[in-house]
Amino acid sequence: MITSKKWLSQYMDLSDLTSEQLADKMTTAGLEVEGLEPMAQGTNLTIGYVKECVDHPNSDHLHVCQVDLKDRVEQIVCGAPNVRAGLKVIVAKVGAKLIGGEIKNSVIRGVESNGMICSLLELGVDAKQLSDYQKSGIEELGEDAPIGEDPLAYLGLDDTLLDVGLTPNRSDCLASFALAKEVGAILHKKVTLPDYENASDIGEPTKLKVHSATDKCPLFLGKVIKEVTIKPSPKWMQQLLHAAGVKSINNVVDISNLVMLETGQPTHFYDIEKMHQDIVVSDGFDTTYTALDGVEYKIEPEDIMITTQGKPVGIAGLMGGDDSKIDESTKGIIIEVATFNYVQCRNTARRLNITSDAAIRNSKEIEPGAPKKAMDRCVQLLIEYADAKGIEETAVYGNPHVEEKSFTVSVTNINKRLGTQFKAEEMMDVLTWLDFQPKCENDQIHVTIPSYRNDIAIEADISEEIIRLIGFDSLGSTLPLMEMTQGELDKLQKMNRTIRQLLTHMGAYESESYTLVSAKHIEDAILGLNPVVELASPMSEDRKYVRNSLLPSMLDVLSYNQNRKASDLSLFELSNVYGQDTVEEHLGLVMSGSLQKNRWMKIDIKANFYTLKGMIETLLSSFGFEKTRIKIKENDLDTVHYHPYASALVYIGKELFGIFGVVHPIMAKKYDVSSDSVMAECNLEVLLKNKASKVKFEGISKYPSVSRDLALVVKKDINVGVITDTIRKCSKFIKNVEVFDVYTGEHVAEDSKSIALSILFQSSEKTLTDQEINDVHQKILDALKKECNAQLRG
Amino acid sequence: MEKLQHLKEEALQAIESCETLSQLQEKRVLYLGKKGPIQDVMKMMKDLPPEQRPSFGASVNEIKSAIAALIEEKKARLEEIEMNQRLEKEKIDITLEGYQPTIGNVHPLTLVQQELEDLFIGLGYTVAEGPEVELDFYNFERANIPQGHPARDMQDTFYINKEVLLRTHTTAIQTRQLEKHAPNPIKVICPGKVYRRDDDDATHSHQFTQMEGLVVAKDIKLSDLKGTLEFMANKMFGEGRKIRFRPSYFQFTEPSVEVDVSCHICNGKGCPVCKGTGWIEVLGAGMVHPNVLEMAGYDSTQMSGFAFGVGVERVAMLKYGIDDIRHFYTNDVRFLKMFKRFD
Repeated sequence: MITSKKWLSQYMDLSDLTSEQLADKMTTAGLEVEGLEPMAQGTNLTIGYVKECVDHPNSDHLHVCQVDLKDRVEQIVCGAPNVRAGLKVIVAKVGAKLIGGEIKNSVIRGVESNGMICSLLELGVDAKQLSDYQKSGIEELGEDAPIGEDPLAYLGLDDTLLDVGLTPNRSDCLASFALAKEVGAILHKKVTLPDYENASDIGEPTKLKVHSATDKCPLFLGKVIKEVTIKPSPKWMQQLLHAAGVKSINNVVDISNLVMLETGQPTHFYDIEKMHQDIVVSDGFDTTYTALDGVEYKIEPEDIMITTQGKPVGIAGLMGGDDSKIDESTKGIIIEVATFNYVQCRNTARRLNITSDAAIRNSKEIEPGAPKKAMDRCVQLLIEYADAKGIEETAVYGNPHVEEKSFTVSVTNINKRLGTQFKAEEMMDVLTWLDFQPKCENDQIHVTIPSYRNDIAIEADISEEIIRLIGFDSLGSTLPLMEMTQGELDKLQKMNRTIRQLLTHMGAYESESYTLVSAKHIEDAILGLNPVVELASPMSEDRKYVRNSLLPSMLDVLSYNQNRKASDLSLFELSNVYGQDTVEEHLGLVMSGSLQKNRWMKIDIKANFYTLKGMIETLLSSFGFEKTRIKIKENDLDTVHYHPYASALVYIGKELFGIFGVVHPIMAKKYDVSSDSVMAECNLEVLLKNKASKVKFEGISKYPSVSRDLALVVKKDINVGVITDTIRKCSKFIKNVEVFDVYTGEHVAEDSKSIALSILFQSSEKTLTDQEINDVHQKILDALKKECNAQLRG
Repeated sequence: MEKLQHLKEEALQAIESCETLSQLQEKRVLYLGKKGPIQDVMKMMKDLPPEQRPSFGASVNEIKSAIAALIEEKKARLEEIEMNQRLEKEKIDITLEGYQPTIGNVHPLTLVQQELEDLFIGLGYTVAEGPEVELDFYNFERANIPQGHPARDMQDTFYINKEVLLRTHTTAIQTRQLEKHAPNPIKVICPGKVYRRDDDDATHSHQFTQMEGLVVAKDIKLSDLKGTLEFMANKMFGEGRKIRFRPSYFQFTEPSVEVDVSCHICNGKGCPVCKGTGWIEVLGAGMVHPNVLEMAGYDSTQMSGFAFGVGVERVAMLKYGIDDIRHFYTNDVRFLKMFKRFD
């Protein structure tokens, strides 16, 4: 909210503080001043009188003016269309510093000019506050403007605006009376508010009937004032409204606005001749309504409306109607001051996009004492500045009486909560400045809370008031004293850290993409959870679902980078994925190009099915799932997203751990990634659920190992895995079987392939003899012939 | 005898002048071979009177071994020279690119999160997580933000239905932890992704990462929060950081504070990063509101607690000088590769 130093100065003496000091103290105590801005800027300004104004000899729009500055007359060239002899104007003298720069002696098209006649725009006044006429030319000052004096003081622009960011619990400070109390407590300054109490408790009997047909309006005060005089409001009032960013209209409308700014309570004034004296607050309308801004609003049954004779005359708390508004011809008024359900006001205001000052205030909880205060202050000001006569008594619906809130707090408990040693007197001092009427008895302080502080309810709230107003500088530093605890990560957290370590050391970078995805991503889920979680009101089609799989978003990342000339990519992501009733921790991996490379050394390890397979196997063996504990199977599960003949499934025991392989060409095109890209999606829950092998020491064999090579020819459809498995089963002396070549082509039959293997023999008990090795070798050949129809290559 | 002496000198000179091992071999054959001059001289011995033969033989043998010794010595010298010549030919260009194995690195958000986790684990905290698709109940109700409360203005929420939403803060993890542990003490940190209906720009993101901390025990006080956060600020932004509390408002805590850390760039003197103030706003914190404790099943007159929350992106942006929050989620590898470090 915007306030100004002058606003606050009405209630207390701030002459000993600069605006900066004031802002600093307010911020430190919790009223954060987010902006500090002079209403107008400019040095060396004075009020001048245009004695003479003639056309410039060399220009069709410039004028040459002789301007009386009291101590001298200066010649000034001015281009404004409204400059003329007899005007009082703002003059920036030579040497003046304005937003646009410094004013210097100059010659304009051959005519000397010593200064500048200014518009308010040139002094940095907010354009929103100015009429089109003001914006199009120089400012025309009133007859009463004193020549040679400071024009900013004359206009009330010698003020500094404070933009205060109120926390949601302190909406009471939207009322300048409450804000003044708060600032007084911060600065330890005596605050004097206008005396308006019970000013509305007067009047003749009234015929006005007020009623509410909905529980969303618990209190309604109405008052008839038969006679008012519409005229401009006094200058001080115009200036205060200007500072608050409210346009001055006329005295009656201005009073309504001023009272809202002072008490925080929006009010509404109706023209008495345009309104029946029977007002009912009601909801349940399903209609359209044209408000005084000329906009046709769609009214829903939940919205609160002000009605008379069954017809809406305003949207409660937000905006009145055009039919009953105050204008120059208004003779008398009806005042409305009411409490409306703030949640409803907020919902309606948000839906209809109404952001008026009244809407902002009615969308928050207004203190219960505000309606009566507002009515009192309105009556007082209307009598004084609008010649109010024929005042009738207030018509009341509901109970305007406010219960006082009081309770007792303990000095010891407050110190215990804060970790301080404040004395009771120090606390009493703070509470007195806050008007909490503290009464101290030993360790107990009894407080009575002013109605506007509806944020204060319990001892903890009082502790906050104490520490923020004494100051956090007085707070020491300690560490919690409690039973020793062992800090550690849980199993999943540890696993995730290990995966990150392993994969980064294998050359992969971790990515983090958005959880919310589009329908396309859901459609292309891999190991996706179903049914999917969908937002009730998404911000866009791109962010409509909670992702149920990682790979689609990772393919987007891959594409983004490939399109920026990065081709060697290896990325992984660890994240939760969601279905409506399920959550799983997933690992996604995408790769393309080279994994390891040094071109002049001819090192180039490509990202392909086999490198990805190896990475997954290394990962799993690091978690205690050796090759013997996992199964790599043909991918018969998802041949839509994966290349049907270059992808596979990984099982741990009977459970599917992941799918990996080359991206399907259609998918590659859809996501704009290169067709050699490979990807994997793994369900880490499977890793957590299965029991891993433990590290176990095995004796290192003292006996030598012997290696024998073997070249076989088999039919193309025989998998190498079948051959190596067959060999391994032949003898316990076989320690390793390694494939070192797979060949098709010349010298091998069209339907066959040649496989070269190296077999390592070793015993932990003895040195193997040639005969023993030859026996095993023969056994292998027999088994391969039987199982795979393998021939020794000649 | 004179001839013998002459022969010796000639041989030694010839050996000395050899420049290669093959020349040396030639000289060996020449002087020590069967057809060499020494053998010729030996043949002369039979013409000598018998009494002269022993001394003559001794002289010849002496010359023979002197020549042989010199050849060995020369051979060693020539071998060394040849080896050095060979090594010189093997000279490589040490400026050619080495083979640098590619290693990746974790995401900067992970880096900061792990750093925070580790420092709190060292203080005896455990790390608690929770669902991102969360109940309104844990996200709002239990956090002391009832239906219709203005504080919900600050949290524009992605709802899935009336009861289910994407959590707007990791406070949802805290409310679950409180319920789980009540009435016993708690010491946890709660990291996680959170979501708000914000349009993405340089400083806003509809998804971001928070980390909250929560301690509940007997006699926990506001000064404990200050001490804990000072410890954290020093670890995260370097020794010598000061912290400052400013009053604020969160539904979850009372009193509530904003926490500023003295600027790690200018050491509090004022610079563009801290907008000249010397302080950077990093955290929100406070004493857990008695309502929150009571709702979870604690007796708020017996137990108290503090809570704090920090934006992981914000810390990363401050630490590394990152100017746009969208970098974290774009995953341009040129960005990701900047965070290779082991400190």
